[in-house]
Amino acid sequence: MEEQDYILFEDYLSGNLDENATNAFETRLETDKAFKKSFSIYKDISAHLDHEIGNEEKTMDFRANLDSISHNYFSKLNAQQEEVNVKKSSGFYKFAIAASVVLLLGFFVFNQFSGDPSYSDFANYDQISLTVRGDNDALLKEAETAFNTKNYEEAELLFNQILEEDSGNTEIQLYKSITLIETNQFSEADELLKAISEGNSIYKNKAMWYLALSKLKQDNLEACKNILKNISEDAEDYEQAQNLLNKLD
Amino acid sequence: MSNKKVHEDQKYIDGLVNNNSFIIQAIYDKFVPKVINYVKQNSGDEEYAQDVVQDTIITIYNQAIQKNLQLTCPFDAYFFLLCKRKWLNTLKKINNKEVTINEEVLSKDDDAAQFVFETSIFENKQNLFNQMFDQLGKACKDLLNATFKIKSMEEVAASLNVSYAYARKKKSLCIGQLTKMVQESPTFNQLNY
Repeated sequence: MEEQDYILFEDYLSGNLDENATNAFETRLETDKAFKKSFSIYKDISAHLDHEIGNEEKTMDFRANLDSISHNYFSKLNAQQEEVNVKKSSGFYKFAIAASVVLLLGFFVFNQFSGDPSYSDFANYDQISLTVRGDNDALLKEAETAFNTKNYEEAELLFNQILEEDSGNTEIQLYKSITLIETNQFSEADELLKAISEGNSIYKNKAMWYLALSKLKQDNLEACKNILKNISEDAEDYEQAQNLLNKLD
Repeated sequence: MSNKKVHEDQKYIDGLVNNNSFIIQAIYDKFVPKVINYVKQNSGDEEYAQDVVQDTIITIYNQAIQKNLQLTCPFDAYFFLLCKRKWLNTLKKINNKEVTINEEVLSKDDDAAQFVFETSIFENKQNLFNQMFDQLGKACKDLLNATFKIKSMEEVAASLNVSYAYARKKKSLCIGQLTKMVQESPTFNQLNY
């Protein structure tokens, strides 16, 4: 194909041809096989790039979510199999397996301090308390319970309801961002946390720390490190941040 | 296949497109055990099965978004055949020898076989397009990255400090160059154009 043909492909795909030119183009597609073939390839590549580049962030979210579901599924499967094996064997073997489990456990505990840090090592969210004594807001109570029992999907819905009435409530926004990290909705979580950390509320340092945890969970270690380096010394999580930073280096 | 009725299992495809955790979990609970068994019975282990499943799901996701995949067959058959194919191809690479894919299941003239065929072609295209994009010169790469990220050609032109007309022309020529590279590649005839 000539340069002119590729320019024509692009004009046709973006709807920049007038009626006559469009008709001429379509007639040529029907009659000129080589032209048609090149056009199909051009169109497919265009759609491919539009998805690969245009949806990059969305796809990354999807991959991270898939990764965590897959990881959970297969580690549960392994745990179940080990249980079956232990039940099947008796006497000495039981003892031997128990001993090796202890060894393995020791290995994992040891690994916690030496191996790559993972999100779950650091994501220890404190119990939250949204209701003051005598305060009877059922919605707040419900959200608090859902969050504290790690029912994050439910908690997110409830936080959204609260924010509908009280959109500027930074504390709720912060807790909502945790539910988003927990349910792997990273782009939304990161956006929210970034906004809080750039604001002037007392939650700005916390938000920065959670943003780092979100990047850690996404395996984006470079971004995680950059955020950790910017957590100020007077932040409550400064020590934890330094600890994580050391492990990442 | 457009005149056929969309299968109720389309919900799995839609769930993937929407990154719906419940649906993804359901795919693992319902359809993955069969794949694990198959891989284990054919010289593999759970770790291999995990990769095969994950790669297959990502391919389906990509195809569903780009090509608006509409399933007219059960997800079970489609997914299992895809995983099976992928595992046999992986085995071929590991052992560096021919493995005959049991065509008896694949050549049955049913919808599932047809969908599996289309998805395999789609995957081959993706791989080749990515490979060729990597070989493209830096100027074209930058321009295409900007074009498909920003979408508005006026902004792209401004961000690259070139004129609007030049940016538009350059975009078609860069994709044109890719088109040519793809056509000249030795694996082009596997793409079914």
